[in-house]
Amino acid sequence: MDNGTSNSASENETITLKSCDGIEFHIDARIANRYTLLNNWNGGESACIPNVNGKVLEKVLEWCEHHINDPQLNCGDDDSRRRNTIIEEWDENFLSCDQDMLFEIILAANYLEIKPLLDLGCKTVANMMKSKSPEEIRSAFNIDNDYTPEEEEQFRKENEWAEDY
Amino acid sequence: MALPNECFIEIFNNLRTDFKSLFSCLLVNRQWCRIIIPILWNEPTKYSKDRRLIKIYLSALNAEEQALLVPFNINFPNCPRPLFEYASYTKSVGFFLPAGVKNWLDVEGSRDSQLNKRIPVEAIKYALIKMFLRTSKNLKCLTLSGVINKAILESLYMKNTIIDLSLLHIYFDCNEIELLMKIISKSTKLDYLSLSYNQLGFKGMEAYRSIN
Repeated sequence: MDNGTSNSASENETITLKSCDGIEFHIDARIANRYTLLNNWNGGESACIPNVNGKVLEKVLEWCEHHINDPQLNCGDDDSRRRNTIIEEWDENFLSCDQDMLFEIILAANYLEIKPLLDLGCKTVANMMKSKSPEEIRSAFNIDNDYTPEEEEQFRKENEWAEDY
Repeated sequence: MALPNECFIEIFNNLRTDFKSLFSCLLVNRQWCRIIIPILWNEPTKYSKDRRLIKIYLSALNAEEQALLVPFNINFPNCPRPLFEYASYTKSVGFFLPAGVKNWLDVEGSRDSQLNKRIPVEAIKYALIKMFLRTSKNLKCLTLSGVINKAILESLYMKNTIIDLSLLHIYFDCNEIELLMKIISKSTKLDYLSLSYNQLGFKGMEAYRSIN
């Protein structure tokens, strides 16, 4: 299995990334090579990351740096990614940010195809939904109910069996 | 919460075995509902003993499938047509179905409490299997037992999604054996086949030999 360090970049090599709002980050080249951070690099002095602002990119890079020596999972194997439901303490602390930032991180991880971070973010949000009523979830995530009362009642009846399992 | 649907699918997939939480989430709003229904109804198989589930499946029978049950004096569920074609998402059908049908029939389905339930259970099971074979887009695992006929086998012949097929306690006549052989040789995806406790009609045996 690829341990993430078998690419050509050496430990001391750095690459400059630039967020969509122009903030530059000097990062270990192994991070850039491991994920698809260089897709938009035209060979210039820095690689631009469109759609991700500096504040979010800083968090994403902090996560990548912490996990630089993690073994690389087979991204195609959805089950193996999901089977591990435990969130490490460091990751838990890392994602105990405000909700907007959590969603920004998920969006960025999705855009940058950083699967383990995407999984982690999604797992965190799923845990926030667990064992809550629909009303509690709506209020926790500030979501409007767009059902008609009749429609909501019919969905409730058609799926009520699931409530017991 | 502005995330693309693909992220919501990831989020809700983490809850795929926690049906209670999925149930709450699907009542949050329409967008979430559309994403969750396919996940929730993907594999409710082990809960098929629950008569509430059977009731929803029964309310999805079409006129032809309902007509099969007319002779059995059955109280059809008195509910509006379901908002989704739930059975179309179901991946695995069969094993717990008879127990669920019996539970439903015992509590609310039968107009005649003294009626011998064996025959109506078989008939309802048969109608439901027909419905699953008609609607399911992704049927992977199917267990059939008891009554089977040419129409079911013909639908099975047209289904090329099944990877796990069990046929148990079935009496096959000559034509059915021939059809079964065709199904087996056509199903390129099939990687598990169980044939147990079946009976072959005398002519069926001959047909079986001639095919081999």
